[in-house]
Amino acid sequence: MLETPDGRRSRTIELIAEILEVQVDTVRPPQRLREDLGLDSLQSLELLSLLGEELRLELPMEEALELETVEDACAFVERTVAANA
Amino acid sequence: MKRALVIGGTGFVGLNLVDALLAGGWEVRVPVRRHSITLFLRSREVERVRVDFDEPDQLRGAMRGQDAVFMAAGHYPRYSLDPAREIARGVEQTRAVANAALRADVPGLVYTSSTGSLAHVEGRAVDEGDVPPRRPEGSTYRAVKWAMEREVERFVGRGLRVVTMIPSGCVGPWDARVGTGRLIVGVVRGELPFWVDGTVDLVDVADVARAHVEAARMGAAGARYCLGGHAVRVSDLLTTVRARYGGALPEPIPLAEARERADREEREAATRRGRVAVPRELVDLVEHGQPVSSAAAARDLGFVARPLEASLDRAHAWFESQGYLRTPKGRDACSRPPMDAAPARSS
Repeated sequence: MLETPDGRRSRTIELIAEILEVQVDTVRPPQRLREDLGLDSLQSLELLSLLGEELRLELPMEEALELETVEDACAFVERTVAANA
Repeated sequence: MKRALVIGGTGFVGLNLVDALLAGGWEVRVPVRRHSITLFLRSREVERVRVDFDEPDQLRGAMRGQDAVFMAAGHYPRYSLDPAREIARGVEQTRAVANAALRADVPGLVYTSSTGSLAHVEGRAVDEGDVPPRRPEGSTYRAVKWAMEREVERFVGRGLRVVTMIPSGCVGPWDARVGTGRLIVGVVRGELPFWVDGTVDLVDVADVARAHVEAARMGAAGARYCLGGHAVRVSDLLTTVRARYGGALPEPIPLAEARERADREEREAATRRGRVAVPRELVDLVEHGQPVSSAAAARDLGFVARPLEASLDRAHAWFESQGYLRTPKGRDACSRPPMDAAPARSS
């Protein structure tokens, strides 16, 4: 599942939903992580940790701070995977 | 090579303790849960093991074969709203770890407490002998820390070799959840909504971590060590922070108002499981703040606290490097909503 872009995208959205304790179908790509979904800063660190564990990647925190939307988070994962390929 | 299990190794004191152990040539294992913030731990040469703390066998298994177990993960209540529940949770957590350590026959448990557990004394610095005979009233945080210490002491009587470390307010790098560091982050970002004057004792987290390692090597069973640094007035501290790193500072408010405001904001935050900028626990720590004597730790463990300014600089540099000090554009300092607990997005 985590070997394809679609799989990683689905997993990223699932992890956001897991951290926020909401149904996965309520998390949509254009939504803003903080303003729309209420993801706080510690939950952001939790998300980076979970993504790092599952994808076995070191995710650069500086870049992660720029993420605004769910779509940004999915794109960030793809960029990091590509950079580590 | 000696081996250590660091419970709480993903946290503030824990990460610094991991670094101190690695620097001392120890092999380090850290138990993690699914939602642990492992982001900072991943770059360190440690073994991460998944442990469900409700499963005594898993905890005991993680401890087996270790030369020392460090418990730097004492329950830290997010809110002070329900003392009975928080105390029960802290005691239960402590009992689970101490029980597992006893059954795993670990050579030593180094337990991290807090000076918040100590009694208030007049005319001298407080030390590890100043234990309140009864649970402190009026502060959930202090009551939790006192109760957890008493629980771990019960296991000393049952043969567990425990050394209790009692640090004051720790300052330094890896404060990802922004504990004492909120006094720096809040001022620099101009987001400290209020503060109350009083005395706080601050100590560098790396000095605390090194003392923990020495305690595992040299601490006598049942020994307790206060780890204090520098007692300062909050007003002087915040003014120093503003002068060194910039920022903004509101006027202080009276203690009673600070208590009431912290309680009110915690009640509001609890409905959305959010965090507040100045928790009641911080108000309590200022109210009960006092100079701390580290004479026993200096004598037995060679503990030395570095100058406060050096600790502040180290903490500030870390917060800056991780993006915690960025301020959103277009808003006035001190008129923003309470700061979140961690980095700001740049805008």
